[in-house]
Amino acid sequence: MPTVVVMDVSLSMTRPVSLDGSEEFQRKNLAVHGLNMLFEHMASNYRLEFTALMAFSSLWELLVPFTRDYNALQEALSSLEDYDKTCVESALHGVSNVVQQEWGSACPCQVVLVTDGSLGIGKGSLRHSLQTLKQRGDDKKFPLPFPFPTKLFIMCIANAEELQMTDAMDNLEELLRLSGEDGQIFTMEGPLCMKSVQTMFGKLIDLAYSPFHAVLHCGNLSSDVQVFPRPEPVIMDEEVEPMPRTVSTDLEIVGFIEIADIASPPVISRHLVLPIAVNKDVDEVGTGATDELEEEPSASQMAGKSPNFCVLLHGSLKVEGMVALVQLGAEWFGMLYSQADSKKKSNLMMSLFEPGPEPLPWLGKISHLGPISEAADNPYGEDDSKSPFPVQPQVKRSYAQNVTVWIKASGLQTDVQKILRNARKLPDKTQTFYKELNRLRKAALAFGFWELLKGVADLLERECTMLPDSAHPDAAFQLSHAAQQLKLASTGDSQYAAFDHNIAPMHTDFSS
Amino acid sequence: MKMFSVAHKTVFVVDHCPYMAESSRQQVECDVLTKSRAQGVIPLAPVSKSLWTCAVECSMEYCRILYDVYPKDKLVNYIVSDSEFHILNSWRREDQSTHELMSALAAVGPPNPREDPECCSILHGLVAAVESLCKITELQHEKRTALMDTADRVANRGRIICLTNAKSDTHVRMLEDYIQETILEQNKLAAGSDRLMAIQQCDLVLVHIYPQGEDTLVSDRPKKEISPLLTSEVHSVRAGRHLATKLNILVQQHFDLASTTITNIPMKEEQHANTSANYDVELLHHRDAHLEFFKSGDLHMAGTSTRENGLKETVTLKWCTPRTNSIELHYCTGAYRISPTDVNSRPSSCLTNFLLNGRSVLLEQPRKSGSKVISHMLSSHGGEIFLHVLNSNRSTLEDPPSISEGCGGRVTDYRITDFGEFMRENRLTPVSESSHDPSGKLPVERAKAQLERHTRYWPMIISQTTIFNMQAVVPLANLIVKETLTEEDVLTCQKTVYNLVDMERKNDPLPISTVGSRGKGPKRDEQYRIMWNELETLVKTHAGATDRHQRVLDCIIACRSKPPEEEERKKRGRKREEREDRTEKNGSKEADDKSWQDSERLKGLLDKEDQESEVIKDSPDSPEPLNKKPRLTSEEVQPLERAKGPVSLLTMWSNRITAANSRKHQEFFGRASSVNNKFELYQHLKDENGYVQSAAKVSF
Repeated sequence: MPTVVVMDVSLSMTRPVSLDGSEEFQRKNLAVHGLNMLFEHMASNYRLEFTALMAFSSLWELLVPFTRDYNALQEALSSLEDYDKTCVESALHGVSNVVQQEWGSACPCQVVLVTDGSLGIGKGSLRHSLQTLKQRGDDKKFPLPFPFPTKLFIMCIANAEELQMTDAMDNLEELLRLSGEDGQIFTMEGPLCMKSVQTMFGKLIDLAYSPFHAVLHCGNLSSDVQVFPRPEPVIMDEEVEPMPRTVSTDLEIVGFIEIADIASPPVISRHLVLPIAVNKDVDEVGTGATDELEEEPSASQMAGKSPNFCVLLHGSLKVEGMVALVQLGAEWFGMLYSQADSKKKSNLMMSLFEPGPEPLPWLGKISHLGPISEAADNPYGEDDSKSPFPVQPQVKRSYAQNVTVWIKASGLQTDVQKILRNARKLPDKTQTFYKELNRLRKAALAFGFWELLKGVADLLERECTMLPDSAHPDAAFQLSHAAQQLKLASTGDSQYAAFDHNIAPMHTDFSS
Repeated sequence: MKMFSVAHKTVFVVDHCPYMAESSRQQVECDVLTKSRAQGVIPLAPVSKSLWTCAVECSMEYCRILYDVYPKDKLVNYIVSDSEFHILNSWRREDQSTHELMSALAAVGPPNPREDPECCSILHGLVAAVESLCKITELQHEKRTALMDTADRVANRGRIICLTNAKSDTHVRMLEDYIQETILEQNKLAAGSDRLMAIQQCDLVLVHIYPQGEDTLVSDRPKKEISPLLTSEVHSVRAGRHLATKLNILVQQHFDLASTTITNIPMKEEQHANTSANYDVELLHHRDAHLEFFKSGDLHMAGTSTRENGLKETVTLKWCTPRTNSIELHYCTGAYRISPTDVNSRPSSCLTNFLLNGRSVLLEQPRKSGSKVISHMLSSHGGEIFLHVLNSNRSTLEDPPSISEGCGGRVTDYRITDFGEFMRENRLTPVSESSHDPSGKLPVERAKAQLERHTRYWPMIISQTTIFNMQAVVPLANLIVKETLTEEDVLTCQKTVYNLVDMERKNDPLPISTVGSRGKGPKRDEQYRIMWNELETLVKTHAGATDRHQRVLDCIIACRSKPPEEEERKKRGRKREEREDRTEKNGSKEADDKSWQDSERLKGLLDKEDQESEVIKDSPDSPEPLNKKPRLTSEEVQPLERAKGPVSLLTMWSNRITAANSRKHQEFFGRASSVNNKFELYQHLKDENGYVQSAAKVSF
């Protein structure tokens, strides 16, 4: 989940922090200190996160586009300049543009807004923006909620009391509400100093940037892993089940399925599963493995040399073209598979299905997937020529069962013509003739369209009179029989108009 | 959409009063004569549908689309009203199909035009509809039972779609008031019953149908709130095509559907088999399949067109060749069931049959810039067609560290093939819900239990195991992991053990891993000891399961040869090369695999290691001290190393350093012009002094 850090560089951020006797800081210095701490943490523990840095006052500027280069981000922080007044709305427009250009509108994003809580005055101030929310045309809509799912973290370089003295806190709360209420407002506790800003950013790190560690189990085989990005809690139906579901830290493999059988299933999110060495310096081995230097000393080399279940699993999944079904919690499953990034690099990935008993209709109920050893015959066949998947639904869909729809005149005409075409080829086409006839009869009865039954009966009688001399005598018998039966049905007489009744071919015998 | 939104329950109330038997006055020519037959034949008079027929077929079309897209838990209750009400089906899942409804409708038949209009009314049906909405559905019951004390989270909402011919706006208001009253009455009743639920929200959709060519007596009215419980909207529509369009729009609104038109579908012409024309097919599906377009405001860019009355929009996606294959795992963010708008038109049925035959089609988003973006895929699974949404944005997971760079990434002898075999054995299959297991465990729990049994002893790398590298052990290894063994299984296991005993007697070689260790590796009897220990470890982990498992273990313990320790000791003292290398290897093994550490084999190895370090000093076979070996240049060392096995990291490193260093200085004259790596020193002394310095030769 990419992060955009939006840093307030308005003049008010240069306000000095009053501290007795010690060195004098600006609020900006505190903010930069906090952000540096965040970036340092990410560089060592959350390195795969893409982060962008944006500065805003009445205008906004993208200082560092999305990157994993945390040095670049820290460098940009060190060279911030001071500008005019705060205008949150335009900055949020900027965030919206920047994120959508890079990731589209489906990718969830975290926005870290750093401000001192003095939110501008007059036009362009947050107060003004919020007051005029409802008086806007479509072209000047307020940027929140963003089109992409958002977690909004507002880091105030101010304490709560200060914000509550004005309407700043109310406005920020309104902002969070507009963004979809996913996120939090952080304020500083106690005096504004380096220590309290550290505490505040520490809380943000714990909430949003602590690596997700889990144990991947396959029976007695297991491996400690980091799942990146952190799997988010999911709410399926806020009414029936308002508590969000979270991914368990024990990921249990249930069994294996062929890629062709799982068939590009829909997933709610994708995650890298990175094996980590426990009881060692996790930071160094886990996420930091990206650009490990060749001559880096033993810790990671040792970890590289000891067999790890993830590597074995990945190798076999890749070779066999299979996925592992993995249980993430109660009635919640996902799949593990090998994902190739390029020709050389490939990885163990985990995709999460929607929570629930039957996320993929073609697998049936997931809790009812069992080991093949229980089946009398191997459902995959002795030579892997068969598959128990996909599971067939009990009722066929309309497009798979030759339904009758006469909403357009052409539908009705086609069905009548089909009957006539077959009528002219009697007795060869007797079976098809009656099949089409009965299909039309059923639909006409259901729709209460008795007039059609009479009409088609008339048509069949006319065909009967027009039969050429060379025609088989059976043709005339069948046509008049069919016409008579349709006429009887059109009276609605329950004896002849029963829906499940079929007109059977007249029994004739011309062989003797 | 919430599980229990108004869409959970839909009641159709269709007017069956005598005036519905009136003709819609829309005529259908069903006798289309072909030119060749046209002469002298009087064509059949066109037929026309009654208002009833129009209402029924359009409501069936609504249900067809609904059931295609939501086969489960979006329920329809169909009620017909004349002098009384007729309920054609129930909320039960088995009653939810168009076939059920058609059959029931056939039994009702068209309205009787001669019936007394005074006794007939739509009100009977509307009252029945409200009563029906109070009835609990299977899903509501299941959820209430599952939620126990929070059962009140299960809401009861519903929608009534009334197809009728109203007399006036006042008549409509009367109907609304009547429904409002009935809801209040029924809610009181429901409060005192377990099988009924009070209605929390009811949406009334009243569709007034009138014949073509007549003026409507009822005016359209958008949705308005009658009371907190009831909202109502009125649509006044001419019978026939207009009614069909209206209900199509309604089903989309009611169930959050959207429309996609697939264009450029190449199809063979019936008459000209070698030419193909391009067709378009319109599909309906959940609107989330267009989420990306909606959000980005890209709808128009994506080829949307507004059609007919401006209410209906469709997104155009282009058929894309080449097709995709089934073994590719696409990153798919959603899959939604589809229903063709025009289900039995030729292009529609061609497309659906093509997909039902198991082929998938990628769909491309038309863009002005000309860049090709594949955004969707059509694919069928088990007779159902789904529109898959493919991710077309940049991935946030790009350029991840390769698995080979992480933990365990440098190990090269994983049992990949064996684990592949293991995965095949642990594939899953649907187990019918009726088959009850005595343990009371769900199939998925039994699958996990099987994985647990199969992995009690499962070394991950080839050099950690002997028995899994031996064909002879396979029958036993496959059987012992079973939950229960038959007598026959035990016999097979025992045979396997006897076979191993036989092999040992014949002194057959074992596939003991010699990776990393130079030379021959452990001696034959030592190899067997390792093998037996490992086999015992494997079987021990299962011995507790049943008596039969225990018998297999007993058999192994009885059969394996255990020579006295002293004899063992004497037999040790074999020469080893690269001793340090081996110790280091064992050391790292020890660190990484705790279960392995416990295993007998490692202990054996370590013991041996200790013994060897004692023995080796006075062994006659011990290698010459390293410094006595002739020094070799790197060119000579390399082929030698290769022949003996993989090059150690140290060697690679030293070679690299040597190579690097050699580039930094000029080569010694002597080494450069040596013959067979030998160069004679003081060559000109001979010339000058006349005697040979034979000893002064130097080797490189």
